[in-house]
Amino acid sequence: MSNNRVSRRQFLSYTLTGVGGFMAAGMLMPMVRFAIDPVLQKHGGGDFVQTEHKIADITDKPVKVDLKFEQVDAWYKSDVTNVAWVFKEGDQIVALSPVCKHLGCMVGWEEDSSHPNQFFCPCHAGRYEKNGKNVPGTPPTGPLDEYEVQEKNGFLWLGPTKANTLVK
Amino acid sequence: MYFNANDVTSFMAQKEFIDTAIVPLVSVDLTSEKMKQSGTEADFLLSLTSFIEQQFKGRLLLMPPFSYSATLKDEEMPKQLEAQLHNAGFKHVFFITCDHSWTNIGDEVNIIWLPAIPLESMDKGVKSSILEDQLRQLIPILSTKWAQI
Repeated sequence: MSNNRVSRRQFLSYTLTGVGGFMAAGMLMPMVRFAIDPVLQKHGGGDFVQTEHKIADITDKPVKVDLKFEQVDAWYKSDVTNVAWVFKEGDQIVALSPVCKHLGCMVGWEEDSSHPNQFFCPCHAGRYEKNGKNVPGTPPTGPLDEYEVQEKNGFLWLGPTKANTLVK
Repeated sequence: MYFNANDVTSFMAQKEFIDTAIVPLVSVDLTSEKMKQSGTEADFLLSLTSFIEQQFKGRLLLMPPFSYSATLKDEEMPKQLEAQLHNAGFKHVFFITCDHSWTNIGDEVNIIWLPAIPLESMDKGVKSSILEDQLRQLIPILSTKWAQI
């Protein structure tokens, strides 16, 4: 016991190291946080929204699915309803955005009787095949966007839109 | 398209595609008996016109609502406005209103009159299905005009 006694000098140097360590950490922590800030940021856009549609009900015929979420524009909050055209392609569930790639109207499924099995835009008669591919010779210049799709508790969840992956 | 800087820029660039203007005519009645009804009408008209805008964004420009009180009401206003919109390059101009008296000039300009539906007491689902029904009635009016060119 007696040969392990802590001298006054040792005690003071331990204490100073400890306190100094805390101070240094207190200064460095915010700096490190600033430096790696992009890694810490949350990705708000990646949120999935639950729809009222069951996965089991989805067939190979496109149906309209509502997608409700709250949008905050500066200080103005509003409830936004988006729509998706959802169907099954083999085992894969596909949710296409209804926003026409021409000038942003809402396309509908089989709305034009002379072109069955196609999406139709009423504004300028733009047409898309079932997988979203734009029909050449009609105004749209690209395929319809696709929503990211998830399944949770048997319900369909839709995420952000991405470029169409079905069209080769 | 809305009447804001971004959308007007794309209108300027795509004039041959955006050939229709929609003008809401909103009556503002400030007498204590009619004020609430007037509010219902304004709410309904603005909700419906934004819904139309969402569906047909690439074909039409939704003008800001033209509001008037009983004394400011002038039959010449829609006619002159229509002439100016035609000059600005719009082939079709539609006035949409809940005020029945505008149907008097329905022969000269395109007036779409709709009875106001009180939306304030409805929950969101009912509201959007009502607006969808109303839109379905409007689509034939628009598409017959569009088919005429």
